[in-house]
Amino acid sequence: MQYVKSRMLDRELKKGSAELLILSLVEDQPRHGYDLSKLIETRSDGVLKFRVASLYPLLYRLEKRGWIHGRWIEKAGQRRRRYYRLTPAGARVLASQRSTWKEFAAAINRIAGVEHA
Amino acid sequence: MPEWPRRIGEEMRQHLDDEYDALRAAGRSHEDAMAALEDDVASATPPAPRPVEEIRADLRYAIRSLRKHPAFTAVVLLTLGLGIGANAAIFSVVNAVLLRPLPYHDADRLVLIWGDLHRPGVNEIPTSAGEFADYRDRSHAFEHIAAYDTLGFNLTGSGDPERLEGAIVSASLFPLLGASAQIGRTFVNAEEQPGREQVVVLSHALWSRRFNADPAIVGQIVALDGRPVQVVGVMPASFHYPDAGVEIWKPMLLDADALSDDNRGSHGYTALARLKPGVTLAQAQADLASVTATFKAEHPGNYRSGFSARLRPLQEEIVGETARPLLILLGAVAVVLLIACANVSNLLLARAASRRREIALRTALGAGRGRLVRQLLTESVLVAIVGGAIGLVLASWGVDLLIAAAPDTIPRLGEVGVDRRVILFTAVVSLGTGLLFGIVPALRASATPPGDTLKDGGRSGATHGRAGRLLVIAEVALSLVLLVGAGLLVHSFARVQRVEPGFDATDLLTLRLSLPESRYTTFQKGEAFFDGLFTALRARPDVRAVAAANALPFSGVGGSRTFHIEGREPKRPEDQAEEQIRIVTGGYFETMRTPVAEGREFTDRDNSSAPRVAVVNEALARKHWPNESPIGKRVAFTRDEPQWYEIVGIVRNIKHAGLDGADRPELYVPYKQPLFASWTVRPMYIVVRAAADPLATAATVRHELARLDRDQPISDLRTMDARIGRSLAGRRFNMVLLAVFASLALTLAGIGIYGIAAYSVTERTHEIGVRLALGAQRRDVMVMIVRQGMTMTVIGAAIGIASALLLTRVMSSLLFGVSAADPVTFAAIPALLGAVAFVACYVPARRATRVDPLVALRTE
Repeated sequence: MQYVKSRMLDRELKKGSAELLILSLVEDQPRHGYDLSKLIETRSDGVLKFRVASLYPLLYRLEKRGWIHGRWIEKAGQRRRRYYRLTPAGARVLASQRSTWKEFAAAINRIAGVEHA
Repeated sequence: MPEWPRRIGEEMRQHLDDEYDALRAAGRSHEDAMAALEDDVASATPPAPRPVEEIRADLRYAIRSLRKHPAFTAVVLLTLGLGIGANAAIFSVVNAVLLRPLPYHDADRLVLIWGDLHRPGVNEIPTSAGEFADYRDRSHAFEHIAAYDTLGFNLTGSGDPERLEGAIVSASLFPLLGASAQIGRTFVNAEEQPGREQVVVLSHALWSRRFNADPAIVGQIVALDGRPVQVVGVMPASFHYPDAGVEIWKPMLLDADALSDDNRGSHGYTALARLKPGVTLAQAQADLASVTATFKAEHPGNYRSGFSARLRPLQEEIVGETARPLLILLGAVAVVLLIACANVSNLLLARAASRRREIALRTALGAGRGRLVRQLLTESVLVAIVGGAIGLVLASWGVDLLIAAAPDTIPRLGEVGVDRRVILFTAVVSLGTGLLFGIVPALRASATPPGDTLKDGGRSGATHGRAGRLLVIAEVALSLVLLVGAGLLVHSFARVQRVEPGFDATDLLTLRLSLPESRYTTFQKGEAFFDGLFTALRARPDVRAVAAANALPFSGVGGSRTFHIEGREPKRPEDQAEEQIRIVTGGYFETMRTPVAEGREFTDRDNSSAPRVAVVNEALARKHWPNESPIGKRVAFTRDEPQWYEIVGIVRNIKHAGLDGADRPELYVPYKQPLFASWTVRPMYIVVRAAADPLATAATVRHELARLDRDQPISDLRTMDARIGRSLAGRRFNMVLLAVFASLALTLAGIGIYGIAAYSVTERTHEIGVRLALGAQRRDVMVMIVRQGMTMTVIGAAIGIASALLLTRVMSSLLFGVSAADPVTFAAIPALLGAVAFVACYVPARRATRVDPLVALRTE
């Protein structure tokens, strides 16, 4: 029984964390999907890795919510790529998600006694 | 194809190409790189949890969150339990009385056959034995036809004499209803013939009570009306017909005399028929039309002014007049539940405001809006279902109370109970209730963008405020409609109670005596019995006066008869005078204390050797002698060799059927001057004016009766006050129930107004603090809060008044002496509601004035 509950929380967490990761990565500059997936993988030292089939639908959802904005950009000699940048609404969500995560992590920490990295 | 899959597809292809290039650049083989990509694509998103798991998780979460707030949960459950319980209770009555088929085999094919003389008041007359025999033998639309008449019997021997309600029935009645005896048998056709008809079938209740459920009862002889009859059967406990009061059945006599032309006009039997399968009411009606056409031609003398037969479904006949008040009550409880929903909705909105951070966190963690709405609705539906279960328990108690309080004019009350249909109804209502009160708060709560909430620290109750105020306005409007409805009934009831019955009902004891013809074979024997009884009673100190009448006011008994007025010959047979006839003993009006307006009343000297006399009431005098006094005029009841009765007095009108009825013309004749020479004893009501407690005098009456005739039972013993109370029981029942529901509605609306005002004070503590700090007077703050609440009340009341003006028309048939737009009610009820609303706003407003500006500002 407990299994279901923890799985659900886990799933929501992952989904929420994915949003947070993408919003943070496009905060300073526009990026395309492949770029985002590589950055997540390298910056987390390979701990976090996005599947291609979940990354792009997620980007689509975030854009539909108005948190990021995508634009096709063609560079000479390359195929066109879709670059995403953070919208003001996305910036607000990012700020709140950051504080939520901070609270959440702090709470976990208080309970579980995990040290900050 | 829409744009987005193409777009995502393009991005994904690029991604895979880039990845392939990167892998190859890192030195992997083509096959190796392709395998890695396959792997990436194949292990797509994890499967979503199955719906069942999700619901289970939601339920567990809901239970936990409800247990965390026991006070909130208790208030909500109680509100819903009461609302749903009231609905379940009223529905169980509606279910038993109106919806459930009658407890007979294929009851939807049962119809009653009434005669129609095409004149007002005689559109539904019973059948004569001759007509019944013709219907039975000549029609083709029916499987069975039966006839019956209810009748009282005196059961004597083996214990105290007892007056029983019984029926004489054709042998076909039991097979028609699909009923057979539990012990022994029912009647055979041959027992409708003279000499064979001295047999009876007992009800289960009578058999258990009087004969100790003796299994050897069949074949035993009992004394009925002083004659020996043989018991042939006992019916099962579940069998009741024509109603639950009937305890004994005897065959009706269908001999040559009953079927003769002379008796063709004596319409005493109710005819019940079962349609053949597949035959419609219209087809049966047409079939009967040809039967009546034939017998009208055969007996032209009996059907001079036209006659036809009309069919009416038995179900409609039994429940017809009960339907409207019951449906109004069901509507009223539905309104109470709506108000309860509005209140719970408001509570949830307020709680959603305090849960905003929890919801924001869940959203931030990735829960979609649909997911959140589902979660919140799971919670409200869970609450509603638990509330429904509580309601069902309350309803099963409430039903007992309802049955105890209900007037015996509501048919089939014994069948009322909580059955499968009631449980199903409650379940559906609970589910609907949960969705109804849950949907608005759920949509509202989930609509708040998470960023906003987390930033402003969970204040911003503006959205809740608006929705909450609308809900309160709706509550006020709904409860006003109910209150007006209840107010109209209360006002009507007060009016009815003030109606003068035309006699003094206090200290009157009444009872019914049916002397058996087997013992009192002549009129003189009956006369001697009453003379002896009255003489003995008048000698007793606790008896002030005593008299008798064949039909007392509020006894449910009465009847009309045609008569002739001397010197007036009606041109057409239908113009002949026909009025209520009462046969009363000397001193009747004195005993009743009915004022004699003119002339005199009857005395014991108005006997068979004295000139025949009559008394009329004012209504009759006005109708038949509008411009002259009827005193001295003469009437007779037979056309040939008329015996003239001279009118010697006029009495005030007496309410006979009910205080709310019209004054009917009545013609009184002395008991000792019988209308026809053939009359022997008649069932009479004795009325005793007691010196003190009338019920205590009952012992005196029983004692004197037993001294005269040990085997003579009495029945229908009640005080006159009780009779009048009984005639008001239906009205009182509707009034009390509607008043209870309306008070419930008013209380809930008051709580709703209080809730929103209190919430608003909490929400605006900061603002109030600022205002006070800037120099506002505490009084201004109070006015501000009260004005907000009263504005809602006024808007709600205005909507309520408009709706009530439209809706109360449906209950105009339940009103008396009060119009459906009664100005008194429409002024008093909003005033009452306004007072309650004011108190509900004033209490939180007082609290607002006690806000300490410093504390309020510091909480920021």
